[in-house]
Amino acid sequence: MSVIQGKVQVLDPIGLHARPASQIVKLVKESGLEITIGRTGQEFAKANSALRLMALKISAGETLTVEIPTADQALADSLIAQIQEFLKAD
Amino acid sequence: MPSQPGAILKGLGVGLVSAVGDVLIVKQSKPLPEWTRSTKSIDEEISELKSAIDFVSKNLDELGQKAGGTSAEIFEALKTLIEDEELMEVATANIDVGWGAAAAIGKAVDEFAELLGGDPTFEERVADFQDLSKRVQARIAGIEMALSIPEKGRIVLVGEDFSPADTAQFTDAVVGVITLKGGPTSHTAIICRSKSIAAVVSCPDAASLETGDRVLVDPVGDRVLVSDDESLATKSLEFVAINSEPLVPVRANIGTLEDAKAARETRANGVGLFRTELLYLSAKTQPSLEQQVASYTEILKAAPEGPIVVRTIDAGSDKPVPFLNMPEEENPSLGVRGYRLIVDHRDFIESQLKALESARVASGREVWVMAPMIATAEEAKAFADLARSIGGYKVGIMVETPSIALIVDQLGGVIDFVSVGTNDLSQYLFAADRMNPSLGALLNHWQPALIKSLARIASGAKAAGISSGVCGESASDPAFAVVLAGLGMDSVSVSKSQVTAVHNALSSLSLADAKEVANAVLKETTAEAARATALREIANR
Repeated sequence: MSVIQGKVQVLDPIGLHARPASQIVKLVKESGLEITIGRTGQEFAKANSALRLMALKISAGETLTVEIPTADQALADSLIAQIQEFLKAD
Repeated sequence: MPSQPGAILKGLGVGLVSAVGDVLIVKQSKPLPEWTRSTKSIDEEISELKSAIDFVSKNLDELGQKAGGTSAEIFEALKTLIEDEELMEVATANIDVGWGAAAAIGKAVDEFAELLGGDPTFEERVADFQDLSKRVQARIAGIEMALSIPEKGRIVLVGEDFSPADTAQFTDAVVGVITLKGGPTSHTAIICRSKSIAAVVSCPDAASLETGDRVLVDPVGDRVLVSDDESLATKSLEFVAINSEPLVPVRANIGTLEDAKAARETRANGVGLFRTELLYLSAKTQPSLEQQVASYTEILKAAPEGPIVVRTIDAGSDKPVPFLNMPEEENPSLGVRGYRLIVDHRDFIESQLKALESARVASGREVWVMAPMIATAEEAKAFADLARSIGGYKVGIMVETPSIALIVDQLGGVIDFVSVGTNDLSQYLFAADRMNPSLGALLNHWQPALIKSLARIASGAKAAGISSGVCGESASDPAFAVVLAGLGMDSVSVSKSQVTAVHNALSSLSLADAKEVANAVLKETTAEAARATALREIANR
């Protein structure tokens, strides 16, 4: 199965904290896909768990890779754009 | 020992509203039972756990609906945590190896709490998360955890401190709140201020109160009285301006373009503190010189008439700016922050000074620049030499460290001005972490040692022929601003919401009067007495 990768940047000054993590989880669950997120070259976390995402301890300014198991580029682009939106500063 | 009628319990007041009401002690609930091995089938334990989580989660929904706004978002996020799939997986695994439902969830939450631990960002969340775990365990054990607060009457809640889940349950009957712990910036204090509930926090003596006691919550007096006489409440001072101009200029503190515009709408005379780091909290790469010139020029142009005091970047590992890549430190507030960044980031501080010079010329405004976290006269001189080699502004330093506070008189001819950051000066003077809610009393700006230090700074600056000002929170307290003027400070800078109040206070008496107030305050030996004396002396003018 093909996987589409995208990059997002954490712009929220507090980093990847509870609120954006829970927003991402909600989106991921709605998509029904096994999406993973992490730092490039390190272990990725399943994005269906806010706790796992928070445990990555991502700080403001870090760039993350999102991996989406789909061949649908438009769907992937839309999911990545929404995730990026959650990671913006208030 | 129960409190006698007329007893006075000291604490820290929140807001200006006082109230009389009947004490309701909010007790810690019955202790949760110890974790045990399961005596039921795996399926029974799992379904019991699921229904308890479901119960707590529905409860969060209700709390969120009641609270609305930003608090609703907090409850939504908490709900995601307790309903987390991975959490359930770990808990199920615990049940599989023989633990009961309560132990299974408790252990699973502990495991995740440990993963999230050590990061200050999550400290509060972890505490909330553990609170949820207790709620689920209480549900499993059949223990009632929700507060039951009457809907009618005049209730004064007394407890250790209140969590967001607790404060969301405050009914209209709650007219007052007293906490044994928690400081003026605790969640309880913020909620009470926004709902205009009379509150006194950090009041350990309230442990002697009993349910049914009639008390007067008197935040202006920083106390609780065992009395039903509302007329005993300390009056907040009403300042009537008699002069058209304040004793010393009242400037505004800003951090963004929006702040600058809002400050212009007030009577502020210029800006006493422009915090530049707020522009860079999310910048991953160093802003170019052109970007800096553009944003500074825009802000300088928008700022209220008068001089604009700009502070060079004040970041540290507790206030990280991504592009500066600051390593984690054991004690961030005692580490490489403020001007100390010059060792590794001279290029950025120089680029700020260059950009400020271009913005100064482009905007035609009077600009003063200052560096934060200066500890020695050598550092002050090094910064002054650097700034003067770059631009035509007045040059000064922040006084935040006790070391520089002691030698302001030696800075004549080195710099043009000093500006005191009382929040950090208190933190370092009293060795009391600003972030620690249980140390709130030491960080009270009426502490005699702080006032003595301010007196010394003001007289040192006079002797050295340099101008002195205060830009910390303390100057936003109108009565304290009068004391500052009386001590000889040449200006104050306050949050924009306080400009009018401080302006009025400083226009309500003569400089000679302010000096007498300050001299009376300097004789006091406790923060409570210092404040009481200031209010009494001001009222008698």
